[in-house]
Amino acid sequence: MLEIRNLTKIYDDGTVALRNVSFTVPDGEFLIVIGLSGSGKSTLLRCINRLIDPTEGEILWDGEDLALLKGAELRKARRRIGMIFQLFNLVNRSSVLTNVLAGRLGYTKSWHSLMNRFSTEDTEKAMFALERLGITDQAYKRADELSGGQQQRVGIARALMQEPEMILADEPVASLDPVLAHSILEHLEKLNQEEKITIICSLHYLDLVQRYSTSVIGLRDGEVVYQGTRAEIQAMTDGEFKEIYGEEAIRVGQDLIPGGEQ
Amino acid sequence: MSGPPVMRKEGQRGSFIPPFLAFLVSFFGPGIGHILAGAFGRGLLLFASFATIIGLQLMRINEIARRQILFSDKILKTYQLEPMLAGVAILTLLLWLWIAIDAYRVAKRRTRGSNMLFGLVLLLFFGMGWQIGQIDLYQFGTEVTKAGPRLMQIMWPWERAMSREEQIISASTPVQVPCTDTLPAVPEEVSGEPYLSIEPQCGLLSEQDGTPGTSAVISGNSFLPNTETEIWWADPLNNEFRHRHEGEYLILTTDENGEFEFEIIMPYRLVPESATGAQKWTVQARQLGMEGDAALSKELLLVVSKMIETIFLGMMATLFGIILALPISFLAARNLMSANWFTLGIYFVVRTILNIVRSIEPLIWAVIAVAVVGLGPFAGIVALTLHSIAALGKLYSEAIESIDRGPIEAIHATGATWLQTVVYAVVPQIIPPFVSFTIYRWDINIRMSTIIGLVGGGGIGFLLIQWMRLLDFKAAGLAVWFIVITVTTLDFVSAEIRRRFV
Repeated sequence: MLEIRNLTKIYDDGTVALRNVSFTVPDGEFLIVIGLSGSGKSTLLRCINRLIDPTEGEILWDGEDLALLKGAELRKARRRIGMIFQLFNLVNRSSVLTNVLAGRLGYTKSWHSLMNRFSTEDTEKAMFALERLGITDQAYKRADELSGGQQQRVGIARALMQEPEMILADEPVASLDPVLAHSILEHLEKLNQEEKITIICSLHYLDLVQRYSTSVIGLRDGEVVYQGTRAEIQAMTDGEFKEIYGEEAIRVGQDLIPGGEQ
Repeated sequence: MSGPPVMRKEGQRGSFIPPFLAFLVSFFGPGIGHILAGAFGRGLLLFASFATIIGLQLMRINEIARRQILFSDKILKTYQLEPMLAGVAILTLLLWLWIAIDAYRVAKRRTRGSNMLFGLVLLLFFGMGWQIGQIDLYQFGTEVTKAGPRLMQIMWPWERAMSREEQIISASTPVQVPCTDTLPAVPEEVSGEPYLSIEPQCGLLSEQDGTPGTSAVISGNSFLPNTETEIWWADPLNNEFRHRHEGEYLILTTDENGEFEFEIIMPYRLVPESATGAQKWTVQARQLGMEGDAALSKELLLVVSKMIETIFLGMMATLFGIILALPISFLAARNLMSANWFTLGIYFVVRTILNIVRSIEPLIWAVIAVAVVGLGPFAGIVALTLHSIAALGKLYSEAIESIDRGPIEAIHATGATWLQTVVYAVVPQIIPPFVSFTIYRWDINIRMSTIIGLVGGGGIGFLLIQWMRLLDFKAAGLAVWFIVITVTTLDFVSAEIRRRFV
């Protein structure tokens, strides 16, 4: 179980990105975080695996406070948390296989990985991960030769290599078309249901939120303004959704929050 | 201040003094009136410009008329020698008045002041530049043809590329001092062989007190036609010395048949007291013939061997530069070093050192390196390596700074260590720019290695400067040709590598 308590992040320039955020994520949850750009979604996800150091607060995961970890302990905790990104964050010039194998770095001894040497076991594992995501035939291509949807699947494969107990997904479908968006989220849903991996994912589209989430929190200006269960989010109307997104969203209307797309 | 405050433009401060006072102050201290009138930037700039222009003119006047003592004499002498400075002085007066008027206007807030004023300032600076640079287009135009012969020698030096073995062609004949009844036997004349005769075949040498010796006619035949011929003497002990005619070494030139004839006066030579009686002296005519087989000249061979040294000098410096710049560049990349104050401190120290080393020219490094490792190519390698490290370190670190942060974040999130993150997320991204910068540096190093020899750092530059100083422009031309050929070839090669790699 992941429990966030009074999490606050103030950047060096004084921007308050998160203000006293508290919520709980039971194991096996598919939590979706919604909110405008700049509402603190990315900061929140990155605080959980400490890509960003929180200013205050606790991040309790199975009783251990991630916010206090340092060095080797932090790396050990990180390797149990997979992460996928809006822009995929693959190393473009490296092969797909190398990108996937990079997910194994936390488990590999430094001097082995520096020579680009992974065990046969790891390579088999990587090929298996690619197979699960249906892109085995792309393994030896350069990462930037792949389409957006394929690149995001490489991102998921990389996260899988960590054998994660939790996956953080920072707007994983924002750069993809709606059909691909469903395909990516279905992969995440499968991992969530079959392997009981906790998923924390930020999203913008109400229909996707309703389709995939088991619980939802809404952020505005770094504060939690909404918390809902699966049942509550199913009953949510466009109007309520827009409320979380604030006045601006209402003015630009459907352009910002497309609903009913399939 | 009569104008209503409404007229003030945004951002302008009010004038502290009335317009007329601003005029007066700027009249006595150009620019100060502006400052008091609230136009700080403009005032400071005008004050600094005006002071610099006046200072430069005083400096030139002191240089040009340094023998005059009185200042008024100095000025007169200067304007007489350099009328252009007088023109500059008149424009300076104009600028002085204009600045004062400008101060009045600025204080009155009528206008922001004309930017033409700075046009005049620039004009004055360029006028001084022309004068200090001693630019003389007239001389350049009228005497440009003087470059011709020298340029031709450098551009077409190929006759120095081949040489024939030199051969001394000579013939000699005995001369008896003084005359007696029996004269030495004259060598037999063989047709086709050079032959020298002297008439009379005996006589007296010149004396120390200036009494001239016997006048005799030397004549030669069967020598090389149209060739310079030296006349030498040998005393009875066979000590040789060159014949002088009216103080200069005598050089005769044979006619088209290989013959010559010239009247000489027998030379002065200190003869020991003990030497009495008839002595057998010898007179000899010598030519330098290019008879042997044509071969590559020693200059050409030297150029080729030094050129090879030059290329390897540049290569080794590049190699060492890369090896040492690579680790340093990671320490000089801000995005990798901004984790905490300690690493940031390292970043600043490394950056500063790189900047200092880079700002010192390789030639200066070579002078220092020569003191350590002595003359020769190693000194050049040390100098170029130092400069390469600094230049590549900066270029590499900037390539590292401009990489995409995304993959770094992603690799970091997998629990990878700092080193693993560098190898997996940073290195793949920086290979193309690194290859590109390295080739660029290699280019520079080869070019630099051709001149690092000027200060003793090895390579072809040493030959170049040596031959230039000896005014042997043909030999220098050979070196220039090889430098051009090498640099062009390497340009082509590096463009090709870049095309394939990057």
